[in-house]
Parts: sequence; C-alpha cells; structure tokens
Amino acid sequence: MRRALTLVVSGLVAALLGILALGGISAAATATDEEAASEAKLVSEAAKRAGKKDPYAPAVYGDR
Amino acid sequence: MVEPTDGDEAAPVRRARDTLPLYAVSAAVTVLVLAPLAAPGYALLYDMVFVPRQPLTWDLVAPAQSLPRAVPMDALVSLVTQLVPGWLVQRLALAGAVFLAAVGAGRLVPTDRRSVRLFAAVAYAWTPYLAERLLIGQWGLLLAYAALPWLVRAALDLRAGRDGALARVVLAAAPAAITPTGGLIALGTVLVLTSDRMRARRSLLVSERMHPLRSRQALAAVGVLNAPWVVAALVTGAGGSSDPAGVAAFAARSENWAGPLVALAGTGGIWSAQATPASRAAPLVPVATVVLLVLAGVGAGLLRRRLPPGGAARLAVLAGAGCLLAAFGVLPGGDALLRWAVVHLPGAGLLRDGQKFLAPYALLLVVCAALGAERLVARVDREVAGVILVGLLFLPVAVLPDLAFGGVGRLRPVSYPAEWQRVAEYVDEEPGEVLALPLSAYRAYSWNPGRVVLDPAPRYLPGTVLTDDTLRVGDVAVAGENPRVRELRRALAEGRPVSTTGVRWVLVQHEVSGEVDPQVLGGLVRVHDGPFLTLYRNPATVRESGGSGPARLAVVVALGAALLVVIAAAVSALHRRPTAW
Repeated sequence: MRRALTLVVSGLVAALLGILALGGISAAATATDEEAASEAKLVSEAAKRAGKKDPYAPAVYGDR
Repeated sequence: MVEPTDGDEAAPVRRARDTLPLYAVSAAVTVLVLAPLAAPGYALLYDMVFVPRQPLTWDLVAPAQSLPRAVPMDALVSLVTQLVPGWLVQRLALAGAVFLAAVGAGRLVPTDRRSVRLFAAVAYAWTPYLAERLLIGQWGLLLAYAALPWLVRAALDLRAGRDGALARVVLAAAPAAITPTGGLIALGTVLVLTSDRMRARRSLLVSERMHPLRSRQALAAVGVLNAPWVVAALVTGAGGSSDPAGVAAFAARSENWAGPLVALAGTGGIWSAQATPASRAAPLVPVATVVLLVLAGVGAGLLRRRLPPGGAARLAVLAGAGCLLAAFGVLPGGDALLRWAVVHLPGAGLLRDGQKFLAPYALLLVVCAALGAERLVARVDREVAGVILVGLLFLPVAVLPDLAFGGVGRLRPVSYPAEWQRVAEYVDEEPGEVLALPLSAYRAYSWNPGRVVLDPAPRYLPGTVLTDDTLRVGDVAVAGENPRVRELRRALAEGRPVSTTGVRWVLVQHEVSGEVDPQVLGGLVRVHDGPFLTLYRNPATVRESGGSGPARLAVVVALGAALLVVIAAAVSALHRRPTAW
C-alpha cells in the first residue's frame, strides 16, 4: 500500500514537472519575433509610466 | 577517486554505454537552448557582438585607453575570424559552452549511476546563472563556466598524482582565461584545489603521490594564462580604478519576493532585469531553490566520502568564496568596502558585478544535488526511483522554461545591413581613429528588433573606434575609464567641431536615439551616406591613436607565453604522458 502511494505521488509530481517543462519549451518554441518585440514595447511603456528610464533605450545597458 | 575505475575487458564497452546517454542528453539540451542559432546571421544581444571578420587591431589586442575587459578574447576572435566566419565562431563558442558544461558536470559526479550523471548534466546546463549570462551576452564567461567542471576534475586528478593531470589542468583553464573574470575563477580553482599549504593532515597519502612541484607548476601555468589581461591592465592609459557608482548598479538583484541572497542561492541574481528570464519572478522559484539546497545537503556527505580526503572541503571553500564575492555588494558594510576598493585598489572594479563569481557554487550545488538524488532513490525500490529521477530531470527545465529557444527568441540572429561592410572598406583604406556618434555604448537597431547591443563598430571597423564608455543602469550613469573618450565628450558638449579633435573618421549611426549636433560635424567630408550609417572623413591633421610600442610588445609577449603554455599542454596531452615541465 505504502509503495503504491509513493509511486502514485512521485508519478504525479514527475508528470507535473514534465508538463511544466515540455509546456514551457513548446511555448518558447512557438514564440515569434513580433511577440518578443511587443513584449519589449510593453516593458518600455511600463517604465515610462513609472517615470523610469526605458531599459530598451539604446543608451541604457539595463535596469535593475 | 573522482570516477570509479574498471579494470575488466568489458570496460570500454561499458564506458561507452554509460557515456553515450550523457552526450546525447547534453546535445539535446544544447539544441534546446540555442535552437534559434540554426538560422543564418548573428545573434546580437547586450555584450555579445560577433561580426563577419573581426579585424586584428591593436586596440582589440592591447587596449591603449580602456580597461582590458575582453583581453585576450577579442584578440583570439580576431585571429580565428581571419580563417573562419564570425557567425560560425559564435555558434561554436555558444554550443561548445552549453554542451561542455553539461558533459563536464555529468562526468564530474562521483557515481556509477547513469541517471544521476544525466541529472547533473541537465541541472548544470540549465541554471539561472547560464541563462542570465547568456542573455546579457557574456559568452566568454560561459566558456569559463563550461570549463570549470573539467578544471575541477583535472585539479583533483593532479592532487591524486594522476599522470597527465597537469596538462589537463592547463587545457581546461585555457578557455576560462579568455576573460579576466574567467581567468581569476580558473586561478582560484587551481589555487584552492591543488595548493600544498591547504592540504589537510589526513591527506598525506595523497600528497605523497603528487609531485611536490606539480601544484606550483599548475598555478604558474594558469598564472601565465592570465598574463595577457594583467599586462594589458598594467600598460593601459585607463588607470586601474573604476566608478564606485557601479557597485550599487551591478550588485546582486532580487528576482522575486525572497531577496537577492535567495536569488544567489539559486545561482541567479544578476543585476540586470532585462537579462533575467521572466520565470525567475515566479513566487514558487524560491521553493524550488530550497528543494535543490535540501537535495544538495543530503548529497554533501556522499561527495565528502567519494572524493579524496579534503577534496569536498576544498570545493566548499571555493564555492563559499564565490558566494561571498557574489553577495558582497548586498551585505551590510560590503557595499561600502567594495566602493572603497574599486577606487583605491587597481583592478578591484572586476568585483563590482560579483554574481559572475557564482560559477563554482553552481557546480558544487549541482554535484551535491545529484548525489542527494542518488541517496534519495537508494531508499526506494526501482520503479519509484525511476519515476523520481525522471521528475528530477524535468525540474531545472520546469523551473526555468524560458531559457529554451535562446531565451524565448532573444538570441534570434539578424544580418548586418550591407553598408557596414562598405564603411569598413572606406576606413580600411585610411586607418585612424573612428568616433562613433551619437555617443552611446549600446545601440538598439531597427534591424535587430527588441534588443540592445554593444556598439558593433569597434569590432567591425579596422582601427581604433571610440564609443562612449559610460554605462547607464536605470537612472545611474557609471562613468567609464577611457581618457580619450572623456576628452571627446567634453569637446562635443562644448559644441566644438570634431575636426579639431584629431580623429580621422566620424561614423554617425541613424535610427538610434540621441542626436548629433550638425555644428560638430563642420569641416568634415561625407564619404558615405546610407539609411543606417553616414561616414565622414576628417581632412584636418589627425593624431596617431594611443598605445606605445613597448606596452604593446609586452602584451604580445604575454599572449605568446600563454599560447606556448597551451601548446605545450596540448602536445603533452596528445602524447598521453606526464608533462615534462
């Protein structure tokens, strides 16, 4: 009984991790250039709204 | 003993059966991380700049006016791209780094369980450290990260008195030493793992096997590998101090609710939010870090028992030192001490971005966690053990899925506009200083959408290219060290024509932010005008670019010495005998 329970629990955890990993990889694989550019644009706009420097402005190495 | 030896006749077959899955999994991880690089072009992201053929200029070999942050890396890339196109060098360097990191970590784990090695391989090649340094473009540091498990293994073999270990120490340290940080990590590794003075009493048997000179020879050889950047730092006109504003700007950063120390404990915590994968902000990430730490704690005892006496303790000292350097900027009093050091101690600026020294910790964490997994599955039956190990293999990817496909497309290659080559040809006809305007160290080009990259001009154009060396981190401006750029910045601020400053060429880049006052371009002759670049020639008298003959000669001698050490080690390793020196 205990062995079966261990197997089920570890199996469920492994399956969850597998789904997260493979799902994440699939999402990364299907991301397009446009999505990356629009994400960068969103970050830029959020920085402007917060009164911070745009981290994607050419002069900026990055933002903390 | 680092790896169990097998004396029977079936050993080669068994070894192949054991190692093939490791190589296959490492290759799969490499493909997953770098898949976008299958497309043609150049991945240009923050500090990662590759060009079709990098000219072999004095400023890349021995920077006369700036700190040698990319010495001897730039010189090597220049040499290699004379024979091999830059796009191929980029792919070989990045794929080599990820693949060798995975294989090296897998082979370092002292176990005979194949799945445990596979877990170590995936975990070491899928760390936040690798992701963050990849996404900030520091490929030279990734080579050091990849070399580290091989270097540790060679250093432990050297302690154990194994034949040929000295050559392997040098060969593993060589790729690490292409940047100052990597060189220091390699030197520290050899110092801590092979030093005589640190040897514990109970390891006397081991020390008797090791020739007393071997550790000093290894240390001297890795010291010579570090000589190019040390000599370049001594002879540069940039001085040795750095702007203390960089200490706070480049200190470890909190990635989620748990703070910077927990981020570092999970091998993340780079200063840049843009180089941090979005998944690191997830609230459950610290929980995954704790799971990994607990697993590592469980495996630490096994590592201590399976390595030669003192080996695990030395690895812990090395990892601890790396952690301390990484956390120094956020520890109470540490930032003040670091600010003092970068101003008063030459070269201490290297410690500003301390998170990069976390590599030895990442390695120890992964090796201990792999052994922890082995201990864990030893307590359950075979089916359950298999399920647990499969789950653990998925764990690093599940926690950090956005490292896949070049950080979700961030490493997508692009092509340089054709006019870059035309401009390079103009400059090549009449070499001299090139001023890149508008003044900015980093550029965001419309042909490289959504990405910021270090100005490629210094690596694309022959001659000394002067770009702004002020680093802007959010609202903080971290001053650079180049006195010539400082002089030009002052001239531009005063509205003086560039023609009076002695530069031969002025390259104005369009479609980037920042404006160039037309007044400062007065007296220049336009020789190229394209959609992205305009090149002006200065007909006035120009000054010779900086750098004295003896200073350059000293750097070249240091480079030659480092190259000789590597060649000697390679020859020795090929002959499969102990090094003669």
